[in-house]
Parts: sequence; C-alpha cells; structure tokens
Amino acid sequence: MAREEPNTQDVGNRLRIAREATGITQADAAAGIDVARTTLLAIEKGQRRIRPEELQRLARLYATSVNALLRRESVYVDLVPRFRKLGTSTNVAEDAAARLLANLVRAEVELENVLGIKRARSYPPERPIMPGDVRAQAENDATELRHWLGLGQAPVRDLVSLLELDLGVRVYVRSIDPRISGLFAYDEDLGACMLLNANHPRERRAQSGGHELGHLISTRRSAEILHTDKEENSREERYANAFGRAFLTPTRTVMQRFREITAGASHLTRRHVILLAHAFGVSREAMVRRVEELDLTKRGTWDWFVANGGITDTQARQVLGDLTPLEMGKQDADRPTTLRLNLLAAEAWRQGLLSEGQLARILHLDRLDLREILDNVEIEGGEADGMPKLPE
Amino acid sequence: MECQSSLNDPTTLVVADTSVAINLNATGFVASILEALPNRIAVVEAVALELENGRRRGRDGADALNTLVAAGRIDIVRLGNPGIECFTSLVSGSAAETLDDGEAATIAYALEHEATALIDERKANRICAERYGALATGCTIDILAHDGVGAALGHSRLADAVFNALHRGRMRVQTCHMDWVVNLIGNERAAQCVSLPAAVRTR
Repeated sequence: MAREEPNTQDVGNRLRIAREATGITQADAAAGIDVARTTLLAIEKGQRRIRPEELQRLARLYATSVNALLRRESVYVDLVPRFRKLGTSTNVAEDAAARLLANLVRAEVELENVLGIKRARSYPPERPIMPGDVRAQAENDATELRHWLGLGQAPVRDLVSLLELDLGVRVYVRSIDPRISGLFAYDEDLGACMLLNANHPRERRAQSGGHELGHLISTRRSAEILHTDKEENSREERYANAFGRAFLTPTRTVMQRFREITAGASHLTRRHVILLAHAFGVSREAMVRRVEELDLTKRGTWDWFVANGGITDTQARQVLGDLTPLEMGKQDADRPTTLRLNLLAAEAWRQGLLSEGQLARILHLDRLDLREILDNVEIEGGEADGMPKLPE
Repeated sequence: MECQSSLNDPTTLVVADTSVAINLNATGFVASILEALPNRIAVVEAVALELENGRRRGRDGADALNTLVAAGRIDIVRLGNPGIECFTSLVSGSAAETLDDGEAATIAYALEHEATALIDERKANRICAERYGALATGCTIDILAHDGVGAALGHSRLADAVFNALHRGRMRVQTCHMDWVVNLIGNERAAQCVSLPAAVRTR
C-alpha cells in the first residue's frame, strides 16, 4: 500500500507549532539537536529536510512522538500561543487551561477525522461591534440570535447543550483554576471551542457560556480568557457581558416573570430573587443586577443583600426544595478526557484504526488509563452480548 | 489445555513493546518469569521512555524496567540505520496505517536483528502481517505459556500471574489463547477481568 510522506513544509510547520506549544525557544530546540538556530529556523520553514534522528530528538523534547508529527490526520493548530499572546503568558493557570482546551480539541478533531465523522456547524452570522451604544447592540444581537434559534422569549435551560447541539460549538466543561471562568477560541479547521470551569456552579457556567457566545457573535477570530474578576475595560468585554445577560435573561421575559413573582409584594425579597434566578438558570447576583439594569428595582439592591447577609445556598434549597438544580457531571469533569472522546477513542480502537499507543498519545493518557476507558466502553462485549445494531 | 508458546528457539532475541512490558510488570512475578525464560529480552528506547512517562501517574513500570536492566535481565536498545528507515515508514502516513513510536520501533528493531517482536496490539499485528510476513511476532501469552516459565512458577503461581496481568494490567488476550487463559485462572476469576470479552466473563 502506498503511504503518503508528509511534505517538508508541513513537518516544519508542525514542529514549529509543537515547539511553541511547549514554550521552548528556537535556541533551546536547536541546542537539543545540535544544530544552529538558523538551521532549526530553516527546518521549521520547510527549507531544510529534518533528519530522522533529529526528528526523534525533537519529538522527545516537545513531549510528543514522531508518529504524532508525521501522521496525516494529526491536528496542529497554534491555539496555546494564541492565548499566550493575550499578554498574560506568565500565568501558569492560564497556560494549563489553554493547553487543556487545545489538547481536548485536537484529540476530538483527529478522532473525528480518523472515523470520518463530520461535525455539523451552524454558527450564526457574525455581528461586528459597531460605533455607538455597545450594550444596545448586544441586546439587539442577542434578541436576533434568539429568533434565529427559534427560542423566542423562553429561558435557556441548558446553555451547554444549546451551544453544542444547536450551534455545533465544541464545549468542554472541565475543572480548571477557580480564577478562570472560561476560554474561547475559533479556528477555521477546528471551529468554535469553549472551555467552561466545572468548579463553578452551573449558573455561573451558564453566564460564562453566554459571555463566550457573545465573543462568537462579535469577535470570533480573537481568542479570549474570561477571568472571574475581569473588568469591563474594553468595548468587546462590555459587549460580551451585555450579550450574555440579554441572551440568558431577555428583557421582556424578565419583566414578565418579575411581575408574576413579585405580584402583590411591597419589597423584593430573597425568595423572589431565588425564584427568578432559578427560572432563568443564572446566579442570584446576575439576576438582581439584571433587574437593576432593567430598572425593576433600584440600583444597589444586590449590594444591599450582600451587606445584609447575602442570599445563601441553604436559603435557596429551602425555597426550591426538589427543584434545586443538580450539579451533574462534576466527577466526570475531573477526568482527563470527556465521555464523547472516550466513545470516539473506543470506536477507533474497535475498528483497528488507531493502536493503543496512538490513542494513549492522542488522549494524553498512559496505557493503563486508556485500557480502563476502553474496558468501560465495553467495546469487545458489544456484539457478543447481542446488542441492537444501529442503522448504517 | 495446552498452549504452544511461539518462543521455541532459546537463541532468538525477543523485543517487547510497552503493552507487553506493562502486562509482565502487572503479573507481580516479572523477575521470576524473565529468569525462567531462556531468551534474551530487549525493549527499545521509545518503550523505556513511555514507561518513564508513566511515573507522572504513579506507575512503577519504569522502576521495574530499571531494576531488570540492572540485573541484566533486559537490555534497552537503540535502532541502527536500517531500523530507523523501517521505523520512519511505520510512523509516517495515514493514522490507520501507522503506529506510535514504541510499537513502530519494536517492529523495526526486530526486523533489523531478525528477532521476535512481542506486541499485544491487534493493529500492530495486522500491519506486521501485511508488510512483514516473515517477521516472527508474539504476545505476552507466549511468554507466560512458555514451558520454562510454567515449570519455574508452578500452576498456582502461573495462574496468579496471568490473573494479575488481566486484572491489574487489563491485558488483552487474543482469541486463540482465550481457552488456555480461562482454563488456567478459572471461570470465577475470569469473570472479574473486564479486559476479557463479555462472553468469556459470563461463561
């Protein structure tokens, strides 16, 4: 069987991306294979063919394999450097989160490519930020997207599913540093990708997802890291925050629900806030700030609650009882891979498309962890158990 | 039930892949097993590196390898020029037709030195059969089912070793060896081994 040799330029490009992802300088990489920096540069530009022994040494230096560098379907996209260029390259937590997102996306896309799966994308049209009132534009764009999705004015109960299934965004909910709410990146080959913090409550994640959705609409070609203490110091951030609020808590519906829930009351109580926040699946703070923004209560209401003991989770449980949202998947979010990745890996292994060594490398697992995943998916038992076959 | 090990020439060099190294380490009797085996055993550098990377997850494969190397039971070997050429052809191309470095280097070294490549990997075995029909290949069971190993460990300890490889190491077993494995460890212990097919576990 004829095998395709990757061309020198592709290999050079992959080597550059692998080097940049590991944060190794050209000088250090050159020293690692005993060549001049100019030679390494020529290799990365595809002007000088790399020798096999040099390739093995660089693969080791970049914590990858020669196969990962030469395999046709390998995905090499410079996501990590894009996040580093945001100006906080010394932040270890950011770097770890960026690597995690890059590793998950690369693994998923490569496994899809190997299995011949084409992920459906249905991104809404871009709406670049215009001069003028950025919040008004965000409100308008959020309403437009709601209509485009056929949501009308209904609350969004599960934003992650909506992003994944209705828009085709790759969303990963994993445990990352608590100071980071989420990451967003877009690439022509990979599509739109988000990483949301599983350590944050579900309501908080929805807001992070809404914010990142705002970036998908307005500035999708710029990578973004959302911090918990991020200030609105740019029009882009003001837009993304306003978009998230407008998308998750649409004006008309909030007004309507507010009127229903507070009917006959003379004060805005903790109970009202808990019920409203639950109705929209957002945090109590986000809900109060939204009703402040819509002039349904006076400015400073949230600050008053904070100064007077806040609104606690215990109080929320007392009000909501069985309606308290369950925090699903926390245990899964601590694992190094996702359930979908596990299924894709198991299928590629079952079909004999990827070896154990290749899969372990793609998923950044060791062999025993990979074997556990394959065993859990029970690939070998499937047919023997006489399970129903899916249509071709 | 008899199981004929393919390692019938004591002078043949045996090159083990990471999968085999992990399985043998999981047996709990790796030193005794290798002592009982008359053949020289080698692993390529890429396999040693992969085991070394397992330290991050608290795996003891690298320590076990280093102990065996120090005791003269295993050699860590490097590809020569003919091997590198073969290695490169096994790692470049489409995903379905290539292998990871450890698997590829194991095959390449075995070809270069007319050795037996031990790989517990269906895809690697398929590629070997398609491209290198003359290459002698085997798997972990070929070591465990070797007469010398059986004689040294005795039935009970051999059964424990195979069970440990399955249970701790999640060893994969080829269909042709399935009956030997289940007869040795018994249905009750086979039922605990999730790496065995469901049909075998529920016998």
